[in-house]
Amino acid sequence: MMGRISISQGVAIGLLAIVAVLVIIIPLLPLYDPYSQNLGGSLLPPGGSSFDGRFYLLGTDTLGRDMLSRLALAGQVSALIGLGAVTVSLVVGVTLGLIAGYFRGPVEVFIMGLADLQLSIPRVLLLIAVTAIIGPSVVNLAVILGLSSWVAYGRVARGMTLSLREREFILSARTQGASATWNIRQHLLPNVLPQMLIVGSYEFGMIIVLEASLSYLGLGVQPPLPSWGMMVSEGQNYLALAPQLAILPSIALFILVAGFQFLSQTLTKENDLEMVA
Amino acid sequence: MAGFIIKRLLQSILTIAGVITAAFFLTRLAGDPAILLLPPEATAADADRLRAALGLDQPLIVQYILFMGKAATGDFGMSLRQAIPAMDLVIERVPATLELALSSFAVGIGLAFVLGILMRMTRHGWVRDVITWIALGRQAIPIFSFGLVLILIFSIQLKWLPSYGRGTFAHLILPALTLGTYELALYLRLFNASLAAEQRNDYVRTAFAKGQGRIQVLLKHMLPNALLPLVTVAGINLGMLLGGTVVTETVFSWPGVGRLIVQSVSQRDFPVIIAGVFLISLVFVVINLIVDILYGFLDPRVRLA
Repeated sequence: MMGRISISQGVAIGLLAIVAVLVIIIPLLPLYDPYSQNLGGSLLPPGGSSFDGRFYLLGTDTLGRDMLSRLALAGQVSALIGLGAVTVSLVVGVTLGLIAGYFRGPVEVFIMGLADLQLSIPRVLLLIAVTAIIGPSVVNLAVILGLSSWVAYGRVARGMTLSLREREFILSARTQGASATWNIRQHLLPNVLPQMLIVGSYEFGMIIVLEASLSYLGLGVQPPLPSWGMMVSEGQNYLALAPQLAILPSIALFILVAGFQFLSQTLTKENDLEMVA
Repeated sequence: MAGFIIKRLLQSILTIAGVITAAFFLTRLAGDPAILLLPPEATAADADRLRAALGLDQPLIVQYILFMGKAATGDFGMSLRQAIPAMDLVIERVPATLELALSSFAVGIGLAFVLGILMRMTRHGWVRDVITWIALGRQAIPIFSFGLVLILIFSIQLKWLPSYGRGTFAHLILPALTLGTYELALYLRLFNASLAAEQRNDYVRTAFAKGQGRIQVLLKHMLPNALLPLVTVAGINLGMLLGGTVVTETVFSWPGVGRLIVQSVSQRDFPVIIAGVFLISLVFVVINLIVDILYGFLDPRVRLA
């Protein structure tokens, strides 16, 4: 049993380490500029060199731009949007969930009705409609992705609050005259937060995929800024000639998403074990 | 039962009203429809006349009620690019999307069914592990990446299947595989869990005691019970599937509603975008309603909840 857990922990750490190297360490190295074009060396395969003798570890794209540094920059953009979106959805979701669970009554009915309503519009479609209208900038994307993803946090936070609010420490605080805000901030929030971070680790991967899908459709990150989804879409036209253009960003996405899947899985497992013990 | 149906029906109507409200706000966010509709050389007087004709000079609440009434009859205005009602353009594309969604649904359930039974019957632990890992790995690959890998293998390398368009059965295979396998890990986990739960029931012990074989007990007795939760969750998950059609249709140039929506975004044809999103949400709400009511018939415990 211990062995199994440490295997998936190891996989999670390994995958996320690759992402960290790509997104944090590669940009620190003296590599090619992700924007500079080299038309003497376009569509080079991984390990290829251009006519002027420059070596490209992962090859170049149609304009002769270095794939490695573009993948790294795109990863930074995605990670930034993902972190922003998870923060927005966590804050909104936890706030609404705690309010719904603590006050109950019509407030709860309204908030949970809002959650049901939001779930009844497929998330990709909602995002397409909203970005089409307000325009896709990096900040807009983070906010829209965040606002459309609060339901998971809200539901878990409400569920936990429903049982927590009946516990002795909350009751005693209330009989001593503690206000609702005090109770929510001092007693409920610290108890709910660890669980929320687990939800966040799962949602982060989902949000990255959503952002990549929007960018693939041309509705997410806009050029000249690169993103993995956009790189796949650009590569689709050269699938027969240079399949690595679409495959490399796909692999990067796979590693990141699988890493976070494993992370949230091990976190959930450990948490269950703690609860049992 | 009648009470349960009425309650769920009212819930669904409320949800649809909420979707229309969201559509109203989105339409207003898109900007003044009169400016969007008129050619650039139109005068301010032209714009005023059109606003009056469209009811845009009314108070917001009146506009909202008018919008509600029109939306309820499927009227989301004219397409800004073609002189055709937006909803007509969307309706034209519905069969293609339904074809894709239903085949993907069938692929997902079918694969989960076959692989789930295989996992249950095999005596080799590694078979179970391999299936689980493949399903988990598939889940980590975004739809567009998986679609392109399939195109690369089956269209470009092997030249077996077409990579874009709609028409023959061969055109359907790659898109349905792409979309249908995305949620396979979830279906498998559910199916396995419900099979495991059935295993503990007395009727299984009775069947074994009567001398029936493993396969017979599994297929004849456990399966009908274990399939129910799988179908329900898959039905609820249809929202994910309908959202996934947008990306899948773009990958394979499949002429469905999703591709129409994406194309309308680049043409800034807002009525078509909103009509498309509304229609897909409507389909989703109706399917959920049907699944719930069917489930209420099949399992009386649900009605009480």
